[in-house]
Amino acid sequence: MNNEVDNREQKKLVGVLGQFDDAHTLVHACEALRDSGVKKMDAYTPYPVHGIEKAIGIPRTILPWIVLSIAAGGLCIGLGMQWYTNATTQLLPFWSGYEFRISGKPMFSLPANIPVTFEVIVLSSAFASFFGMLVLNGLPKLANPLHRIPRFKRVTNDKFFLMVDVGDDKFDASQLRNNFSDWGATDVEEVFQDQTDWKLPAFLKTFAVLALVLMLVPPALIFRARGMTYTGTRLHVVPDMDWQVKFKTQTEGPLANNNTTTEFFFQDIRAQFDDLPGTVSRSDQSGDSEFFKGIRTGSDLHSSHTTPAVLASNQEETAQEETTATTEATAADEPDWVTTIPSQVKVDRDTVLRGQRQYNIYCAVCHGYSGEGNGLANNRAVALSTSGESAWTEAKSLYDPTVIDQPVGRIYDTITNGRSTMGPYATRIKPEDRWAIVLYVKALQKTRKTAVSKTTEDNSAGDKKDSGK
Amino acid sequence: MAHIRKAEITSPITTLGGESTSRVVPALLVVAAACIGGAFAWQGLSNRALFLHSYLVSYMFFLTITLGCIFFVMIQHLTKAGWSVTVRRVAEVFGCGIFPMALLFLPILVLVLTGDSSLYPWVNTTPAASGAPEWAVGDERIFDIKATFLTPFWFGIRSVIYFTVWTFIAFRLYSWSVKQDETGDKNISLKSQSFCAPLMLAFVLCLAFAAFDMEMSLAPMWFSTMFPVYIFAGCVLSSLATILLTCLLLQKTGRITDEITIEHYHDLAKLCFAFIFFWGYIAFSQFMLIWYANIPEETFWYRFRFEGGWVVFSLVLLFGHLFIPFLGMMARTVRRNKTYLLFATIFLLAMHWVDHFWIVMPQWKASVYEGYFSHGEPITSSQYVVWPGFVDLLLFVGMGAVFLASFCVVSGNRSLVPLKDPRLHEALNYDNP
Repeated sequence: MNNEVDNREQKKLVGVLGQFDDAHTLVHACEALRDSGVKKMDAYTPYPVHGIEKAIGIPRTILPWIVLSIAAGGLCIGLGMQWYTNATTQLLPFWSGYEFRISGKPMFSLPANIPVTFEVIVLSSAFASFFGMLVLNGLPKLANPLHRIPRFKRVTNDKFFLMVDVGDDKFDASQLRNNFSDWGATDVEEVFQDQTDWKLPAFLKTFAVLALVLMLVPPALIFRARGMTYTGTRLHVVPDMDWQVKFKTQTEGPLANNNTTTEFFFQDIRAQFDDLPGTVSRSDQSGDSEFFKGIRTGSDLHSSHTTPAVLASNQEETAQEETTATTEATAADEPDWVTTIPSQVKVDRDTVLRGQRQYNIYCAVCHGYSGEGNGLANNRAVALSTSGESAWTEAKSLYDPTVIDQPVGRIYDTITNGRSTMGPYATRIKPEDRWAIVLYVKALQKTRKTAVSKTTEDNSAGDKKDSGK
Repeated sequence: MAHIRKAEITSPITTLGGESTSRVVPALLVVAAACIGGAFAWQGLSNRALFLHSYLVSYMFFLTITLGCIFFVMIQHLTKAGWSVTVRRVAEVFGCGIFPMALLFLPILVLVLTGDSSLYPWVNTTPAASGAPEWAVGDERIFDIKATFLTPFWFGIRSVIYFTVWTFIAFRLYSWSVKQDETGDKNISLKSQSFCAPLMLAFVLCLAFAAFDMEMSLAPMWFSTMFPVYIFAGCVLSSLATILLTCLLLQKTGRITDEITIEHYHDLAKLCFAFIFFWGYIAFSQFMLIWYANIPEETFWYRFRFEGGWVVFSLVLLFGHLFIPFLGMMARTVRRNKTYLLFATIFLLAMHWVDHFWIVMPQWKASVYEGYFSHGEPITSSQYVVWPGFVDLLLFVGMGAVFLASFCVVSGNRSLVPLKDPRLHEALNYDNP
């Protein structure tokens, strides 16, 4: 402290500081100074004193206007950005917009854009008020000469201070000293600026330069690594994702935690259990061939792995014509199709209605609601293939004689494994529902064979009879 | 700072209306009876549905203001607010208006309980051709839930609960506050605070369900969980405007002297400004989700208000309830200008009335409207758009008279500013930085 006082002569005067014991005298002094025409002054108090800004004569801040104008800018940016990115393409040669329609809304629709715009306004206003406040207050300040004055430390405790800046037009140190004493100041002193205050500490400069250099390292590394192959050990940023605590199937199992002997968790050393007795695999439905495959039990063994239909559906996309030929060529090897609905499926009105619902969901898009092969997707695809834009095999009418003659097992197989362009539905429709569709298809076909009145009369009874044929 | 105002009240403590008090209240009640009765005779007999909807518009206008005032008092206690002590009494007195509001709700309640479906379509449970009542359009799962909730019996039970809770809160707080005027007991402030904490929960729950019951159920199959918040935003905004306006008028006529300063007006106006935007924020939140999801079960409510003549009301609300007051109340100078505030609060209250008109009136012909929804017939809402008319004016004046009479009776010959509140000095020396 002492050497600071000693050096005062070498320092520049920055103002006169008065110390007051209570807020009232301070405010009165402020008012008197203000009225005498002093403008550059500032008061320091331990707590916010209401009305002091009026006493000092601080004009209203322009911060609200800054915030308002930046918020208006945020509004324009928020809206403009959305308009540019979503409602324009190639407006500017660089940074093209991308028209992407969401939920069938217009490319530029105000309600959808308001939340983003609102957030941009809020963010820009918050930044504007925070940084605007800092700038208007001249912050951050690296040093303040007042902090060199020991007495001033009580400003955060119980003393009130008023400083007049040397730059003020009415500044007169000796007169201010007298005035301050008259207004009730308990102490008055001159404040000097230590010239060293203005110098940035050396370590700060070093640190800044170092930080700047270090900041350039990652982008430089990335720049260097463009298009390079790397042969070193891979970096594992998230090790517990790269090495997960788990065992893969068909590998060696975990060790049981036994202190005396080394034992594997499972007797056969494998990492997984054997199937429990009675487990039925999802992919192996050979248990009930009639129900799952539409093929008579016993006859499917030799044909199940080489069913032409399966082949056809597997290769449909790559070799359409070829598979059609395969199907025809192997027609003679047709499996022994089931001709009656399996006993698990209840043949009644409810099942037919269920079949109708499933049919309308999965089949009607191509085969049409009435089964004539005139579904919307089919019509569109036919139109496209006519104009040569795509290849398409027309969906069959369910009243086609070849379809009418098909046994129920065959229709079931078509749904399960697909035919020609038609894909397999085994994963999408449950076996019960597939059978329900078959039932509904049979019911549909019957409407074209029988008079309307008769069909409606013995709807459910007739189905069983018909499918039994 | 120069002058510290002593915690003494200089406002005259007399009854409102001075020497003619004994005649003011009966006169107001006569006006109320004449107006409401006149409106009923004019339209209630010939077109009961339309009359009831008009009745509900004015009723909700004053009910929401009353509820907003109760909320205002509670939130001041909960936050131990010092600045608002001098304006709190006005809100307390308005809050006690919940009792006459309960009486004005009786006609609606009686109609619902007697099975009259001209206001609320869900009262009618007679099955139509489809097996469900006529108003049950759209998803039957929604109907199943709605039908258990919207029954006259439960509506009655709930209404009783709402008004009991609200009246209890309003009168409890007011009687404590008045008692403090005499005793100056500081514990009353602490007691009010701990009283408000749990009761705020009850208050808000009642407010939310009342919003469902009284206004959302006009379109029985429509649902929006944002709706109570929307009503709440309107409650607070309209009550702030009412408190502001009342204080301005009371001070202008010398009922309150220098206890309320420009700083209090400034603060109330700041809250108004905040709630103008809150209202807009909530209104937009409700609209945008429905607009974006675009599900017919929800969109029909808005679609109806965007077609025909109703779009005029929607636009009036968008500009008059949001944009114009938002920009108009933004500047500090205007928030500290009493003449401007007088105009602004009246404008805000008018918009609040339009808001409830916009919510209630498009529902008055529920059958047309639900037919529109279920069959998609091109019925335009311009075919039955309702413009505010003489009946609405009569009902507004009538209920306004009840509202004012309640203020006169409740305030009686007590001070319109709390006399011995422990935080009074804070309010009297309040200064906006």
